[in-house]
Amino acid sequence: INNYVSPEDAKEELLNECESIWKHMEEYQSKLLLLGTEAMLESDVKLSLLMVRVKALTAEYQQWQKRNPELISTNPDVLLELGKEELQKVKNDLEMVLSTVQLKNKKLEEDLKREQQWHEEQEQILDTLTGIEEETNIEVQQLPKTSLAARAFQELQNKMLKLRMYKEELLDALGEFLEEHFPLPERGRSAKKNSSEEPAVELMTLNEILEILIDKLMSTPHEPYVTIDDSFWPPYIELLLRYGIAVRHPEDPSRMRLEAFHM
Amino acid sequence: MAVVRPFDKLPALNSAVLLLVGSDEGLQRKLAEAMLREKKSFKISIHLTTSLPLPAERDHLRPRIDLIVFMIDIKSKYSLKNVEASLAHVDANFFLGKVCFLVTGVGRVNYCSVEMNAIWKLGEMYCSPVLFCELELEGIRNATAQRLLRMLQICAGHVPGISALSFGTLMRNSTDD
Repeated sequence: INNYVSPEDAKEELLNECESIWKHMEEYQSKLLLLGTEAMLESDVKLSLLMVRVKALTAEYQQWQKRNPELISTNPDVLLELGKEELQKVKNDLEMVLSTVQLKNKKLEEDLKREQQWHEEQEQILDTLTGIEEETNIEVQQLPKTSLAARAFQELQNKMLKLRMYKEELLDALGEFLEEHFPLPERGRSAKKNSSEEPAVELMTLNEILEILIDKLMSTPHEPYVTIDDSFWPPYIELLLRYGIAVRHPEDPSRMRLEAFHM
Repeated sequence: MAVVRPFDKLPALNSAVLLLVGSDEGLQRKLAEAMLREKKSFKISIHLTTSLPLPAERDHLRPRIDLIVFMIDIKSKYSLKNVEASLAHVDANFFLGKVCFLVTGVGRVNYCSVEMNAIWKLGEMYCSPVLFCELELEGIRNATAQRLLRMLQICAGHVPGISALSFGTLMRNSTDD
């Protein structure tokens, strides 16, 4: 079998292939023009787009399934040239990757050194501060109790104590008030255990709900939302919302937060 | 024709066409120039416009558009509204990987007037990738130009084995993490 094909024949071959592919393209183009525009539903753009995507992806998948790897040409010259070109491209890409990775490594090393230096400095600061703390502690203990600073300090401590006691009183009073006027709904009066009526979860008292909301707002003011679950009795939630004590999350109805009265 | 369609014309050999839609013409021009300066193996032509629909009179002169990049300036709410209005004039088949959102001005975080939430939602709704850049800085401008060139190459079908749709899906999956 004569495998030798002249360069002119090879060129002819490639040009003919190109021509036939172009003819196919023109055919498909005329078919596409007949399809017309796909209008998107105004109401749910995402849904209609996703459906179009599903169709297109399935079509592409089927195309890939049908395809078999095809030889570009059997002409050894053509193949040689193509092979050289591909290898050159791959070599360039790999060189680029190599230089990128090397740069990245260098940067990472620099970052590591910088972080280690920072860490050392922080440790030094910590040591000095602990030293200072110990010295001041010793000085404080040696101060006579009747000095001006000590007396002011004592006064502040007393104030703190008084405030704390007041806070406890307020919380107790609130607790009693809530227990008396906003008790938990009584579990089913009938002795029959009707499983659909029994609450599935322990309900929390209004006091506990308020505690949770206040704690979340005070501890993480940037993330004050609490997720509502079954232990929150719905009528109490509505009560809090209606009186402006709590508000729902604007986009997620299962989360709510305490209204920030203190700001 | 009021709506831009992806396959209404035959493509030209070894070339690709990019359409930049955005309200800041100066930035558009800078980005286009950066792209034209890059080394590439195919001819590109970049069309700039402030909004869609494109004027119908020159429609027969216009080549087939391979990739539409919607530019949103994070400092201007108007640019977001402009883009949203223009999106209605794009055929649904474009959103199979031939549309990309480019958010510019991210270097100045203090002057942010468009919410990130709105941008993510836009990307989600139109199933298209969102790229961020700061076009005032030359280095980032060149890097963005290279990225867009690569995307353009794929959307014009010049890379065998990967279609605009599969590339778009790849970009989405990596951001969904």
